[in-house]
Amino acid sequence: MDLIDNLSLGFGVALQPINLLYCFLGVFIGTLVGVLPGIGPVAAMSLLLPVTFTITPEAGIIMLAGIYYGSMYGGSTTAILVNIPGEAASVVTTLDGHQMARQGRAGPALGIAAIGSFIAGTLAIVGLMLIAPTLARFAVKFGPAEYFSLMVLGLSILTYLSHGSLLKALIMACFGLILGLVGLDSISAVARLTFDRMELVDGVGLVPIVMGLFGIAEILINLEQRLTREMFAERIKGLLPSRQDWAESAAPLARGSVLGFILGILPGGGAVIASFLSYALEKRVSKTPEKFGKGAIAGVAGPEAANNAAAGSGFIPLLTLGIPPNVVMALLLGAFIVHNVQPGPLLMVQNPNLFWGIVASMYIGNIMLLILNLPLIGLWVQVLKVPYRILFPLILLFCIIGVYSIANAVFDIYVMIAFGVLGYLMRKLGYELAPLVLAFVLGPLMENNLRKALILSDGSFSIFLERPISLACLILALVLLGSAVLPALRARRETIALETS
Amino acid sequence: MDRLKLYAILGALALFGIPIGAPAHAQTFPTKPVTLIVPWPAGGSSDLALRAFADAAQKHLGQQIIIENRPGASGTLGPAQMAATSKPDGYTIAQMPITVFRLPYMTKTTFDPTKDFTYVAGLTGYTFGVVVQSKSPWKTFKELIDYAKANPGKIKYGTPGTGTSLHIGMEQIAKQAGVRWTQVPFKGAAETNAALLGGHVDAVADSTGWRALVDSGDFRLLATWGGARTKNWPDVPTLTELGIPLVANSPYGIAGPKGMDPKVVQILHDAFAKAVREPVYLEALRKFDQELAYLNTADYEKHAAEQIEEAKRLVADLGLKTN
Repeated sequence: MDLIDNLSLGFGVALQPINLLYCFLGVFIGTLVGVLPGIGPVAAMSLLLPVTFTITPEAGIIMLAGIYYGSMYGGSTTAILVNIPGEAASVVTTLDGHQMARQGRAGPALGIAAIGSFIAGTLAIVGLMLIAPTLARFAVKFGPAEYFSLMVLGLSILTYLSHGSLLKALIMACFGLILGLVGLDSISAVARLTFDRMELVDGVGLVPIVMGLFGIAEILINLEQRLTREMFAERIKGLLPSRQDWAESAAPLARGSVLGFILGILPGGGAVIASFLSYALEKRVSKTPEKFGKGAIAGVAGPEAANNAAAGSGFIPLLTLGIPPNVVMALLLGAFIVHNVQPGPLLMVQNPNLFWGIVASMYIGNIMLLILNLPLIGLWVQVLKVPYRILFPLILLFCIIGVYSIANAVFDIYVMIAFGVLGYLMRKLGYELAPLVLAFVLGPLMENNLRKALILSDGSFSIFLERPISLACLILALVLLGSAVLPALRARRETIALETS
Repeated sequence: MDRLKLYAILGALALFGIPIGAPAHAQTFPTKPVTLIVPWPAGGSSDLALRAFADAAQKHLGQQIIIENRPGASGTLGPAQMAATSKPDGYTIAQMPITVFRLPYMTKTTFDPTKDFTYVAGLTGYTFGVVVQSKSPWKTFKELIDYAKANPGKIKYGTPGTGTSLHIGMEQIAKQAGVRWTQVPFKGAAETNAALLGGHVDAVADSTGWRALVDSGDFRLLATWGGARTKNWPDVPTLTELGIPLVANSPYGIAGPKGMDPKVVQILHDAFAKAVREPVYLEALRKFDQELAYLNTADYEKHAAEQIEEAKRLVADLGLKTN
C-alpha cells in the first residue's frame, strides 16, 4: 500500500513538534488575518516569507500554507458578524450570513461556516492525496476557449445573485465590467481608462474595491442607525447549528466542496469565483429560493465549503506541475525555491518527505482550525455587543492598514474610500454590490480568454462550439439564463394579459 | 584657503539649486538606512533575488538596506514614484527593470528614463528560453523555424505578455529568420506553462518558469537567449550559436532620482560592486536562474542610453506604440 506508506511518512514529518508548532502558528495567524478586514493572506504571507528562510523547508511551507487555508476559515467571521468580508472570498457570505446574525443566529452561522470549512478542507486534502496528478493533467485541458465559456456560465448566474431589481443588478454588473477594463489591455497592451495615472496602468485592485464597497460603506450605513444594533445583539439564540440547520446544510456543503475543489484547480479560478458560483447553485436548486438573502443557512454553508475546498485544491497544480493557479500559490512557489525545492512533477519523487509532510500537515491544520474556531464562536458573538464607537474606528484602521499593505500604495486607500462612498450611495438607492464584484472579477478574464481563443482559432468563433467542455458550459449557461428569465417573462405576459382583458 | 574654496563651491551649488547638505553628506554617507524600492510584489523571484542582494550589500555599505515593495505598472510605478517624490540624497534607490526604458514609448508615463534617474550600477539579467512539448516533432530550434517557414502564421507561441522582452525577442527572431508566427499573450509563467502542457499553444517563450517541466521531461528546451550557455542547461544552445544574432536577458540595475551627488553614487556603487561577488548573492542568482551582468556606473549609464534607444526603435518597429 503505497498510499499508507506515504501517509505515514507524511505524518511522521508533520507530527514532529517543531512542525506542529509552525502549523499551529500558521493557522492561528491565518485565522487572524482572515478575521481582520482588508488584511488578507497575501499580505501576511509575504510579510512572513523572510521568516521562513531560517527554518527547514517543511516547517516554512507548512506555516505559509496554514496561513492561507486558515484565512479562509477566518474570513467568514467578519462577514457574518459585521457584514464586512474578512477577505475577498467571503463577499458572498455577507449576503445570508449577516442576515442570520441580525436574526440572532450568528452562532449557527459561524458554526456552519467553521464546520463546513473543516469538511470541505478535509475533502480537498483527500482529493489532493488521491488524484492530484491525474486531476492536474486534466485541468490543463482548459484552454482559452474553455475558460471563456466557463466565464459566460459564471456571468449567467448574475441573475441568482440579486434578490431585488434585475435591471439594477445588470447596471451594477456593467459597472463592474467597465471597472475591469481599466489598465493596460491584457492582449495588446493598450492603456484603457487610465486617465494618464500610472497607478491605474495595472488596473484597479480587487481588495480596495471590496473593502470600500463592503467595509467603508457598511460603516457609513450603520452610522445612521444608532439603535438597531444593540437590539439584535440581545437576542442571540444558540451557538451551534441545530438539527434543522444541519439538514438544510448537508447537501450544500457537499455540492460546495465539489464545486470549489474543481474550480480551485483551474488557474485563475480560485476561491472568489467558487464561492459566487456555489451561492448561485444553491439558490437555483433550493426549494425556497426566496429565503436567500434573508438568512438562508444554505447560502452560508455552500460558499464557505466552496472557498475552503478551492483553497485546498489550489495546491494541486502547484505541487504536481509547478504551476501556481493564484497569487497565494505564486508566493508559495517563491518560498519553495528559496529553500532550493522546485515544485513540479518531480516533487513527489525527489522530496517525498516534503510533499507528504505538507499534505499530512493540512489534515492536522484543519483539525486545529476546528478546535480553534468552535470555542471562539461564543467569543466572536460577543463582538456584536461591542459598541460601534469602539468597533468602527478599529475596523476602519484595519481596512486602511490592510489595503495599504498590499502594495504599499496610498493610492489604494483613496480607491477604497471612493468606493466606500459609492457603495454607501448604491446601498441607499437599492443597488446590490455582489453583481459588481462578480463582473469585475470575471470580466477581464472573459475578455482575455475570448481574445486568446480567437487568436488561436485564427478568428473563427466555431472554436467555442467545437470543443466539448466549452460547448457544455455554454449550453448550461443558456439553460440557466432561460430558466431564470422565462418565468419572469411569463409572469409579465400574464399580468399584461390580465390588464388588457 | 581650503575653507574659502568650500564656501565657493557651496555657494555655486546653492546657485544651481543643489541642496547644500549634499557634499557634507557625501563624506559621511550613509548615516541612516537606505531604502531600495523593489517594483514587484514581495515573494516573487525578482524580489527574493534583490533581498539577497540587499543582504550582501549592506555589509559593505555599513548601513541597513530596507526593501520596499511598490509593485505596479509593469515594474515602473516604483521608479516613477521615486523620480517624482524622493530626494536625490542616496537614501532612496530603486531597481530599474527593463520596462522603465520601454513603457514610456508604449504609453504615457510620468517619468523620462533619459533624464529622471541617476544610474548607479548594473546587476543581473534573467534567463529566457523557448520550450515546446517533448512529444512535439521539433527536436531543435532550427526545426521549429523551418516548420514556421513552411507554414506561415501557423505556429502559436505563448509569452508572459505583449511588449515583454519575450514577445519582442520572438518577433525579432521571426524578422531575422524570415518567418511569421503568432503571439498569444498570457499572464506570467503559470498560464504559459498550463497552455503548453494542455497543447493550446505550440511553443512558449518565457523566463525559467518552465524549469520544473523541462527537468521532468514534459517540455523540451530548444534555445536560451543569453550571451553564453546556461549553467543549469549546458546542452542547450544559445540563439547566437544557432546563427541568430540576438542576446536578450532584460538586464536590470539600480538607480536613484536625478541629481545625485557623484560621491554618493560612488559609495553606493563600490558597495554594490563588492556585493555582487558575495556567495549569498550568487547563490540566490543560481536559484532564480539570473545571470550576473555587473556594470559600473559609467558603463551602466551608457547601457541605459543604448537600451532606451533600442526600446524606442523596437516599439515603433513592432507597432506597440499606443499614443
